[in-house]
Amino acid sequence: MQRRTFLKGAGVALLLPRLESLGQVAKQSPRRLLTIVNHLSFYQPELLPKATGAIKEPPPLLANLSDHFEHLKMYSGLNNPAVQNGFGHTPCVGILSGYFNKLHRKNRISIDQAVADNMGEETRFRSLVFQAGENLNFSQISWDKHGLPVQQIDSPRKIFNLLFQVNENEKVQQQILAEDRSILDAVLAQAKSMEKRLNATDRAKMDEYLSSVRDAEKTVRKQARWSGRPKPKVDYEIEAFDRKSVDDYVGTLLDLAVLALETDSTRAVTVQIPFWEGFKEPDMGGNYHDLSHHGKKPEKIEKLLLLEHGILKRISAALSTMKERKVGSSSLFDQTTTLLTASMGSANAHNFDDLPALVFDRRMKSSGYWRKKDVPMSNLYLGLLQHFGVERNHFGESNGAFDLLA
Amino acid sequence: MRPGWMTLLLCCALCGGAQAESALKDFFTQHCVKCHGPKKQKGKVRLDGAIDRLFADAQLAETLVSVIEDGEMPPKEAPQPTAAARANAVKLLTRRILASRPANPIKRLTRAEYANTLYDLFGVDFDFNDLLPPDHVEAGFDKFGESHLMSPHQVMAYLKTARFVAEHLLPDAKPETRTWEFEAPHFHGSKNFAVGGGGDYRDGDGYVLTGFRPYRSNVHFSTDPDGYERFIVPAFGLYRLEVQAHSVKSNEGEVIGINLGDGRHPTTFRNIRRVPMPHGAKGFTTELILKAGDQLAFTFDSARAPGRGGDPRKYKGPRMRFTHLKVTGPLIEAWPTTAMRDILPKPKMTPAELVDHIALLLTQRPLLAKDRAAFVKVARRQQKSGASTMATARNVLIALLTSPHFIYKSESPDLTGVELAHRLSYFLWNSVPDAELLAAGKSGALAKDPSAQVDRLLADKKADRFIDDYTRQWLQRDKVDDFGPDVRVYKDVRRMTVDSMGREGRELFAHLLKNDLSMEHFIDSDFVMVNDRLARFYGLPKVKGDDFVPAKLPADSERGGLVAQAGFLKLTSTDFTTSPIHRGSWILKNLYNEKIDPPADVVINEPDIRGTTTVREALLKHQQFASCARCHSKIDPLGFALEYYDPVGRKRSEYRHVEVVSTKKLKFTKVPIDATMKLPDGREVRDLPTLKAALMADQEKVLKGIIGKLISYALGRETTWADRSYIDSVYKTSKGRNHSLRAAIEAIVAHPEFGRK
Repeated sequence: MQRRTFLKGAGVALLLPRLESLGQVAKQSPRRLLTIVNHLSFYQPELLPKATGAIKEPPPLLANLSDHFEHLKMYSGLNNPAVQNGFGHTPCVGILSGYFNKLHRKNRISIDQAVADNMGEETRFRSLVFQAGENLNFSQISWDKHGLPVQQIDSPRKIFNLLFQVNENEKVQQQILAEDRSILDAVLAQAKSMEKRLNATDRAKMDEYLSSVRDAEKTVRKQARWSGRPKPKVDYEIEAFDRKSVDDYVGTLLDLAVLALETDSTRAVTVQIPFWEGFKEPDMGGNYHDLSHHGKKPEKIEKLLLLEHGILKRISAALSTMKERKVGSSSLFDQTTTLLTASMGSANAHNFDDLPALVFDRRMKSSGYWRKKDVPMSNLYLGLLQHFGVERNHFGESNGAFDLLA
Repeated sequence: MRPGWMTLLLCCALCGGAQAESALKDFFTQHCVKCHGPKKQKGKVRLDGAIDRLFADAQLAETLVSVIEDGEMPPKEAPQPTAAARANAVKLLTRRILASRPANPIKRLTRAEYANTLYDLFGVDFDFNDLLPPDHVEAGFDKFGESHLMSPHQVMAYLKTARFVAEHLLPDAKPETRTWEFEAPHFHGSKNFAVGGGGDYRDGDGYVLTGFRPYRSNVHFSTDPDGYERFIVPAFGLYRLEVQAHSVKSNEGEVIGINLGDGRHPTTFRNIRRVPMPHGAKGFTTELILKAGDQLAFTFDSARAPGRGGDPRKYKGPRMRFTHLKVTGPLIEAWPTTAMRDILPKPKMTPAELVDHIALLLTQRPLLAKDRAAFVKVARRQQKSGASTMATARNVLIALLTSPHFIYKSESPDLTGVELAHRLSYFLWNSVPDAELLAAGKSGALAKDPSAQVDRLLADKKADRFIDDYTRQWLQRDKVDDFGPDVRVYKDVRRMTVDSMGREGRELFAHLLKNDLSMEHFIDSDFVMVNDRLARFYGLPKVKGDDFVPAKLPADSERGGLVAQAGFLKLTSTDFTTSPIHRGSWILKNLYNEKIDPPADVVINEPDIRGTTTVREALLKHQQFASCARCHSKIDPLGFALEYYDPVGRKRSEYRHVEVVSTKKLKFTKVPIDATMKLPDGREVRDLPTLKAALMADQEKVLKGIIGKLISYALGRETTWADRSYIDSVYKTSKGRNHSLRAAIEAIVAHPEFGRK
């Protein structure tokens, strides 16, 4: 299971350019958000402590995170009231929005994007969202302010290239971006003119197209601004990872997430733990998704736990790495709020309530475990958003706000 | 006088409506409100409010009418309405539903439609898998406007794709055609055994694949002998591959796979073609579109090595020896290319001319003056900056390919002749109409009698795309290989057997269509479509070659029909176990065209199934929940009847319960099968033959279900209750022609509903 060493990321070091040397780091360190969603949840009997308050005797799954208990607020029993009207895995798309619109396949803004909207303008990428593996419809969890899906990237190699690959032909690139802008202008004009001739249903569809083009224009403009600046260089080889291995693949995704934050390529990274059929450990019978439907059979739970331990170890390792990495005057961990949650309470029961959520933040005054019941997940999101300096008093289906730094 | 008349008319209309409404309300109050009213809202359904509110939710209205008509509601234990009251309620509900047409939102081109359209317009077979996002599949098909989401990412992908297309259709300079030759010293294997290992080896004359490590075994190429400068395709274009390879120690046809990807890390491969090599073949020549940066690798896809566990050195079975590869490309048939001449018919064109010409070329619809100004501006700006006509045309092409003019299909409430031609060709060719079809559309001949065009379209090679795309989605053929058969358990099921399973459904559809045969063959049949491997797998007399042919079944065979196909039985199973629920719901969804979603308020508390050994025991526990039972009483019997077929579709007489003790050791326990169950109407099904008999007894329902699927694919929306008369009429016409699939397709197109949005 642990063919990779505990911390592959240890070999990662920034070569150049250091960001401070470019004068890009503001005097006050920026805040960053790392969101991790595990769609199949964790086996809660082995995750939740018996008692609330300070975590003294962590159950085996939670014990993987023991290095970080000091800065952890853990909740259970959270609920996503507006997500209940779907079936299968489709409602999972609403996990970060606290909302799911089954009919129109549109949604409300997700927490990672709400945060990115607030601070994404200063970095090369507003946000980076990793897809839960390849070609999974129901792993679209990031939604922009229009409720449209945000691009999610499905392969570690693509993520790596996007972040660090050098673009050779800068001049041509600039020229292309200028052309792109004029083309998008024309396309927008045609769409507007065409929209007038459509009926109400189709006009709604064309509205999606219009706002998509407007956002694409913004992206192109921003790309033009950034195309003159070199991408950061890192000493990291993205080569041999096994795309079928839970341990290996999750480790790679988290390495990339940490690198993206460390290089200040973006300040909001969203990682999803993949769960497609066939995702497992190479030498294990049964796959992750199948094992999550354990039917309470001990032999299945045992294997499932093996995979969940692997995932949590990787997450813990990523948090440790963030503590080691210095960006500016403090560690990456100091500057980053990490949210770990699940879109189901139990993948065995396929329920979309009873959700766990773990928030890691250096600034919190008290840590520990809180047991909630039927409290909207959106309350946590609203609290998070407020800590990011967004003045809002409502998010998703919120009816209050958690004070995560208390 | 006038106001009086109006009042009277209005009053009458209202009276009729009000009467119907109160009759419905009475029915609900008497039979439904007890469980679906102020006190209880089972299934989150409330039927005590105003009738109009009910119809605001089209899906609810449809569910209502079908559960009342089928006698599912009120439940058996509750007092039942009289037959007349039931019929009347159904009549009133149906009338209301029919009054509102199902919405058919505007649709954009799917990725496949986009690629086919460009191929038919410009003769270049682009592969957009890396450029355009895959389409969301809703209720079985990716063609539904309802599910076509647009996003900034999608728009950027269109823009990027359009640029890619334009740069390759309208290049500034003629690409240079080059030739590369590779021999043994240029051949390499994966990182772990670059010059051999894991059963593969390189010797003086070539590189030999045994396929012993199926996920590693491949051969790829370096440009320097014995070195490692990998061969990377330098430019986009059509390439010819001439391959010298032959099988060793084999006495049958073999298959070579052509893959894109880094051969050192073969887990990232994408198979782009499979080339059958008849027994004794010395190689093959093929042409492929490749793009800059692509890397080629060959695999031995029909390998039969025993997989992990064995000793590769002792392996004496079939292998594939590669000795020579010649690559030539990009191939250019003429310069300027046909596409260049089509897009730029004159050396000098004004911005307006360019825009009008390219717009018409792309969609056969002129751009309205209002829409065109913006594009003309793009062209003008280019020309002003001193760009060549070619560069200007490129930009216009990019803009138009990204615009709604091209991306969205134009459909008026009553389709115009040109729109009708488009709907028909996107149905049967999955692409744009050709000149003849367009002419028929414009002249009105198509609307009057489409049969000649349907015949012509189906006779064309392009109809293969419809057959591929439709059966891939309807039968979920692409899911057949989602779970690789575990070589420890299924020793005789190899990659190419699974590949053949995935093709069987397509071949059956194609055969019925081509030979004007009855759709009843989908339910049961006295023949199956097989190739060499599938015939062997089914235990039928030997068939030669990789191509599918019909094979008559022996009298005692249970095969024949979709539900007896190994592909279906496999795609509805997991690694080691069958899934009766999956099989049953597949039958309901894809053959009966039923929508089965769990009701909104069901908390699927999976019961404690510890101690159960068979699926049956586990499932019967599910059925104890009333909320599950409503659907599961329909689903489970259908799926259970198939329990005599294992996860790869082989007949079995008992369960082989697999426990993984260690990587190499599995523990098998035998458990007897009991597949007998009763369908909701009391009919007993106990095995595949009785299941097929039950489906055949439901022949009309099933064939209407299949027709419904075809209609929803053709129209790009789900069929609803309101489509009943359309489906009935198609069924009637095809029945008159022995239920011919072809007749059904003709009737679908000939129906007036096909010509409406």
